Amino acid sequence: MNAQVEQALEILRGGDPQALDRAIESLQGAVYSFGMKVCGNPHDAEDTAQETLIRLARSLKDFPDARALAVWLYKVAKTQCLMSRRKSKFAPAEMLSLDALMPDHGAASPAASKSWAITPEEVVLHRESRARLEEAVLALPKSYRLVLILRDMEQLNTREVAEVLEISEETVKMRLHRARAFVRNALEKYFREA
Amino acid sequence: MTDRRCKQIFAALSEYLDGELPVKNCRELERHLKDCKPCLAYLENLKTTIQACRDLRVSKIPRPAARVRAALRKAVLER
Repeated sequence: MNAQVEQALEILRGGDPQALDRAIESLQGAVYSFGMKVCGNPHDAEDTAQETLIRLARSLKDFPDARALAVWLYKVAKTQCLMSRRKSKFAPAEMLSLDALMPDHGAASPAASKSWAITPEEVVLHRESRARLEEAVLALPKSYRLVLILRDMEQLNTREVAEVLEISEETVKMRLHRARAFVRNALEKYFREA
Repeated sequence: MTDRRCKQIFAALSEYLDGELPVKNCRELERHLKDCKPCLAYLENLKTTIQACRDLRVSKIPRPAARVRAALRKAVLER
Protein backbone atom coordinates (compact mmCIF):
# COMPACT_ATOMS: atom_id res chain seq x y z
CA MET A 1 0.00 0.00 0.00
CA ASN A 2 1.06 3.59 -0.54
CA ALA A 3 2.87 4.38 2.73
CA GLN A 4 1.97 8.09 2.62
CA VAL A 5 -1.75 7.31 2.38
CA GLU A 6 -1.71 4.57 5.00
CA GLN A 7 0.21 6.73 7.47
CA ALA A 8 -2.14 9.70 7.00
CA LEU A 9 -5.18 7.47 7.48
CA GLU A 10 -3.65 6.03 10.67
CA ILE A 11 -3.34 9.59 12.00
CA LEU A 12 -6.99 10.37 11.15
CA ARG A 13 -8.13 7.14 12.78
CA GLY A 14 -5.98 7.87 15.84
CA GLY A 15 -7.56 11.31 16.20
CA ASP A 16 -4.37 13.18 17.16
CA PRO A 17 -5.37 16.87 16.70
CA GLN A 18 -1.69 17.96 16.52
CA ALA A 19 -1.02 15.82 13.46
CA LEU A 20 -4.38 16.37 11.77
CA ASP A 21 -3.46 19.21 9.40
CA ARG A 22 -0.37 17.37 8.22
CA ALA A 23 -2.41 14.21 7.56
CA ILE A 24 -5.06 16.16 5.60
CA GLU A 25 -2.36 17.87 3.47
CA SER A 26 -0.78 14.50 2.85
CA LEU A 27 -4.06 12.92 1.71
CA GLN A 28 -4.84 15.92 -0.46
CA GLY A 29 -1.43 15.49 -2.13
CA ALA A 30 -1.90 11.77 -2.64
CA VAL A 31 -5.45 11.90 -4.02
CA TYR A 32 -4.80 14.98 -6.18
CA SER A 33 -1.68 13.35 -7.64
CA PHE A 34 -3.62 10.17 -8.36
CA GLY A 35 -6.32 12.25 -10.07
CA MET A 36 -3.76 14.10 -12.19
CA LYS A 37 -2.15 10.87 -13.34
CA VAL A 38 -5.47 9.22 -14.19
CA CYS A 39 -7.44 12.20 -15.58
CA GLY A 40 -4.57 14.30 -16.93
CA ASN A 41 -5.96 17.71 -15.99
CA PRO A 42 -5.93 19.80 -12.80
CA HIS A 43 -9.68 20.53 -12.74
CA ASP A 44 -10.67 16.88 -12.64
CA ALA A 45 -7.86 16.13 -10.20
CA GLU A 46 -9.13 18.85 -7.85
CA ASP A 47 -12.74 17.60 -8.14
CA THR A 48 -11.51 14.06 -7.47
CA ALA A 49 -9.58 15.15 -4.38
CA GLN A 50 -12.48 17.18 -2.94
CA GLU A 51 -15.20 14.59 -3.48
CA THR A 52 -13.04 11.69 -2.33
CA LEU A 53 -11.93 13.41 0.87
CA ILE A 54 -15.46 14.59 1.70
CA ARG A 55 -16.64 10.99 1.35
CA LEU A 56 -13.71 9.89 3.52
CA ALA A 57 -14.92 12.18 6.30
CA ARG A 58 -18.31 10.40 6.23
CA SER A 59 -16.81 6.90 6.19
CA LEU A 60 -13.84 7.23 8.51
CA LYS A 61 -15.40 5.14 11.25
CA ASP A 62 -16.63 2.33 9.00
CA PHE A 63 -13.35 0.48 8.43
CA PRO A 64 -11.40 -1.87 10.70
CA ASP A 65 -7.94 -0.60 9.77
CA ALA A 66 -6.03 1.94 7.69
CA ARG A 67 -5.25 -0.56 4.92
CA ALA A 68 -8.92 -1.40 4.32
CA LEU A 69 -9.68 2.31 4.39
CA ALA A 70 -6.90 3.01 1.87
CA VAL A 71 -8.28 0.39 -0.54
CA TRP A 72 -11.72 2.02 -0.20
CA LEU A 73 -10.17 5.49 -0.73
CA TYR A 74 -8.59 4.43 -4.03
CA LYS A 75 -11.88 2.83 -5.11
CA VAL A 76 -13.71 6.11 -4.51
CA ALA A 77 -10.97 8.20 -6.18
CA LYS A 78 -10.99 5.89 -9.20
CA THR A 79 -14.79 6.16 -9.51
CA GLN A 80 -14.61 9.96 -9.21
CA CYS A 81 -12.01 10.08 -11.99
CA LEU A 82 -14.13 7.92 -14.28
CA MET A 83 -17.16 10.13 -13.61
CA SER A 84 -15.28 13.37 -14.21
CA ARG A 85 -16.86 15.83 -16.58
CA ARG A 86 -13.92 15.65 -18.95
CA LYS A 87 -14.16 11.90 -19.24
CA SER A 88 -14.27 12.07 -23.03
CA LYS A 89 -10.52 12.64 -22.86
CA PHE A 90 -10.05 9.04 -21.82
CA ALA A 91 -8.64 6.87 -24.52
CA PRO A 92 -11.30 4.51 -25.92
CA ALA A 93 -11.79 1.21 -24.12
CA GLU A 94 -9.81 -1.35 -26.04
CA MET A 95 -7.65 -4.39 -25.55
CA LEU A 96 -3.88 -4.18 -25.87
CA SER A 97 -2.67 -7.25 -27.70
CA LEU A 98 0.54 -8.87 -26.50
CA ASP A 99 1.56 -9.66 -30.08
CA ALA A 100 1.17 -6.03 -31.12
CA LEU A 101 3.32 -4.87 -28.21
CA MET A 102 6.18 -7.27 -28.91
CA PRO A 103 8.96 -5.72 -30.98
CA ASP A 104 10.27 -7.78 -33.86
CA HIS A 105 13.96 -8.44 -33.15
CA GLY A 106 14.63 -9.33 -36.75
CA ALA A 107 13.07 -6.25 -38.29
CA ALA A 108 14.15 -3.79 -35.63
CA SER A 109 16.98 -1.33 -36.08
CA PRO A 110 20.23 -2.08 -34.19
CA ALA A 111 19.24 0.69 -31.74
CA ALA A 112 16.21 -1.35 -30.67
CA SER A 113 18.52 -4.08 -29.36
CA LYS A 114 20.39 -1.74 -27.04
CA SER A 115 19.72 -0.46 -23.55
CA TRP A 116 18.86 3.24 -23.50
CA ALA A 117 21.70 5.47 -22.44
CA ILE A 118 19.48 7.22 -19.92
CA THR A 119 18.60 6.65 -16.29
CA PRO A 120 15.02 6.72 -14.93
CA GLU A 121 15.88 9.94 -13.07
CA GLU A 122 16.96 11.55 -16.35
CA VAL A 123 13.75 10.42 -18.09
CA VAL A 124 11.75 12.25 -15.44
CA LEU A 125 14.04 15.30 -15.21
CA HIS A 126 14.20 16.05 -18.93
CA ARG A 127 11.16 18.04 -19.96
CA GLU A 128 10.59 16.28 -23.29
CA SER A 129 11.08 12.69 -22.16
CA ARG A 130 8.94 13.36 -19.10
CA ALA A 131 6.20 14.77 -21.36
CA ARG A 132 6.43 11.66 -23.58
CA LEU A 133 6.13 9.44 -20.53
CA GLU A 134 3.06 11.32 -19.26
CA GLU A 135 1.49 11.28 -22.73
CA ALA A 136 2.07 7.53 -23.06
CA VAL A 137 0.39 6.86 -19.70
CA LEU A 138 -2.59 9.03 -20.69
CA ALA A 139 -2.80 7.28 -24.06
CA LEU A 140 -3.33 3.91 -22.37
CA PRO A 141 -6.89 2.55 -22.39
CA LYS A 142 -8.26 3.37 -18.94
CA SER A 143 -8.42 -0.20 -17.63
CA TYR A 144 -4.68 -0.55 -18.28
CA ARG A 145 -3.85 2.97 -17.13
CA LEU A 146 -5.47 2.43 -13.75
CA VAL A 147 -3.49 -0.76 -13.16
CA LEU A 148 -0.18 0.89 -14.10
CA ILE A 149 -0.84 3.93 -11.91
CA LEU A 150 -1.99 1.94 -8.89
CA ARG A 151 0.80 -0.63 -9.13
CA ASP A 152 3.83 1.33 -10.33
CA MET A 153 3.08 4.86 -9.17
CA GLU A 154 0.94 4.40 -6.06
CA GLN A 155 2.92 1.33 -4.99
CA LEU A 156 -0.06 -0.92 -4.25
CA ASN A 157 0.66 -4.63 -4.47
CA THR A 158 -1.07 -6.96 -6.93
CA ARG A 159 -3.73 -8.06 -4.42
CA GLU A 160 -4.56 -4.48 -3.43
CA VAL A 161 -4.89 -3.40 -7.06
CA ALA A 162 -7.20 -6.36 -7.67
CA GLU A 163 -9.32 -5.27 -4.68
CA VAL A 164 -9.51 -1.63 -5.79
CA LEU A 165 -10.47 -2.49 -9.36
CA GLU A 166 -12.54 -5.57 -8.45
CA ILE A 167 -10.72 -7.81 -10.91
CA SER A 168 -8.62 -10.95 -10.47
CA GLU A 169 -4.92 -10.84 -9.63
CA GLU A 170 -4.19 -12.61 -12.92
CA THR A 171 -5.96 -9.82 -14.81
CA VAL A 172 -3.93 -7.23 -12.87
CA LYS A 173 -0.69 -8.95 -13.91
CA MET A 174 -1.77 -9.27 -17.53
CA ARG A 175 -2.85 -5.63 -17.81
CA LEU A 176 0.21 -4.38 -15.94
CA HIS A 177 2.66 -6.05 -18.28
CA ARG A 178 0.87 -4.79 -21.38
CA ALA A 179 0.60 -1.27 -19.97
CA ARG A 180 4.32 -1.22 -19.12
CA ALA A 181 5.23 -2.55 -22.57
CA PHE A 182 3.02 0.11 -24.20
CA VAL A 183 4.73 2.91 -22.27
CA ARG A 184 8.18 1.39 -22.82
CA ASN A 185 7.55 1.19 -26.56
CA ALA A 186 6.41 4.83 -26.64
CA LEU A 187 9.65 5.90 -24.93
CA GLU A 188 11.67 3.67 -27.27
CA LYS A 189 10.10 5.44 -30.26
CA TYR A 190 10.92 8.82 -28.73
CA PHE A 191 14.56 7.94 -27.97
CA ARG A 192 15.03 6.53 -31.46
CA GLU A 193 13.69 9.71 -33.05
CA ALA A 194 15.46 12.11 -30.68
CA MET B 1 10.92 -10.94 -31.16
CA THR B 2 10.04 -13.42 -33.81
CA ASP B 3 11.46 -16.40 -32.00
CA ARG B 4 8.81 -18.38 -30.07
CA ARG B 5 11.02 -18.54 -27.01
CA CYS B 6 11.48 -14.75 -27.09
CA LYS B 7 7.71 -14.35 -27.10
CA GLN B 8 7.36 -16.55 -24.03
CA ILE B 9 10.11 -14.59 -22.29
CA PHE B 10 8.52 -11.29 -23.23
CA ALA B 11 5.21 -12.32 -21.68
CA ALA B 12 6.92 -13.14 -18.36
CA LEU B 13 9.18 -10.09 -17.98
CA SER B 14 6.97 -8.06 -15.64
CA GLU B 15 6.31 -10.97 -13.31
CA TYR B 16 10.07 -11.60 -13.28
CA LEU B 17 10.85 -7.99 -12.37
CA ASP B 18 8.14 -7.99 -9.70
CA GLY B 19 9.49 -11.17 -8.11
CA GLU B 20 6.22 -12.95 -8.88
CA LEU B 21 7.59 -15.55 -11.32
CA PRO B 22 8.19 -19.09 -9.99
CA VAL B 23 11.89 -19.83 -9.34
CA LYS B 24 12.04 -22.52 -12.05
CA ASN B 25 10.76 -20.08 -14.67
CA CYS B 26 13.22 -17.43 -13.43
CA ARG B 27 16.15 -19.74 -14.09
CA GLU B 28 14.88 -20.51 -17.59
CA LEU B 29 14.38 -16.82 -18.29
CA GLU B 30 17.85 -15.93 -17.04
CA ARG B 31 19.40 -18.66 -19.22
CA HIS B 32 17.64 -17.18 -22.24
CA LEU B 33 18.71 -13.63 -21.40
CA LYS B 34 22.38 -14.68 -21.32
CA ASP B 35 22.21 -15.54 -25.01
CA CYS B 36 19.63 -13.06 -26.29
CA LYS B 37 20.81 -9.46 -26.38
CA PRO B 38 17.54 -8.01 -27.73
CA CYS B 39 15.54 -9.61 -24.88
CA LEU B 40 18.11 -8.40 -22.35
CA ALA B 41 17.96 -4.86 -23.76
CA TYR B 42 14.17 -4.99 -23.69
CA LEU B 43 14.27 -6.03 -20.03
CA GLU B 44 16.70 -3.24 -19.14
CA ASN B 45 14.57 -0.64 -20.90
CA LEU B 46 11.42 -2.00 -19.26
CA LYS B 47 13.14 -1.59 -15.87
CA THR B 48 14.01 2.01 -16.74
CA THR B 49 10.37 2.63 -17.75
CA ILE B 50 8.99 1.19 -14.51
CA GLN B 51 11.40 3.18 -12.36
CA ALA B 52 10.64 6.38 -14.31
CA CYS B 53 6.92 5.78 -13.63
CA ARG B 54 7.73 5.37 -9.91
CA ASP B 55 9.75 8.59 -9.97
CA LEU B 56 7.01 10.69 -11.61
CA ARG B 57 5.79 13.32 -9.17
CA VAL B 58 2.93 15.74 -9.63
CA SER B 59 3.91 19.35 -8.99
CA LYS B 60 1.76 22.28 -7.89
CA ILE B 61 -0.58 20.46 -5.56
CA PRO B 62 -3.32 22.84 -4.34
CA ARG B 63 -4.10 23.21 -0.64
CA PRO B 64 -7.10 21.20 0.58
CA ALA B 65 -10.39 23.07 0.13
CA ALA B 66 -11.78 24.67 3.29
CA ARG B 67 -14.85 22.39 3.21
CA VAL B 68 -12.61 19.30 2.98
CA ARG B 69 -10.48 20.44 5.90
CA ALA B 70 -13.58 21.25 7.98
CA ALA B 71 -15.33 17.95 7.19
CA LEU B 72 -12.28 15.85 8.05
CA ARG B 73 -11.52 17.78 11.25
CA LYS B 74 -15.14 17.37 12.35
CA ALA B 75 -15.16 13.64 11.55
CA VAL B 76 -11.91 13.02 13.43
CA LEU B 77 -12.68 15.12 16.49
CA GLU B 78 -16.20 13.69 16.86
CA ARG B 79 -15.05 10.07 16.76
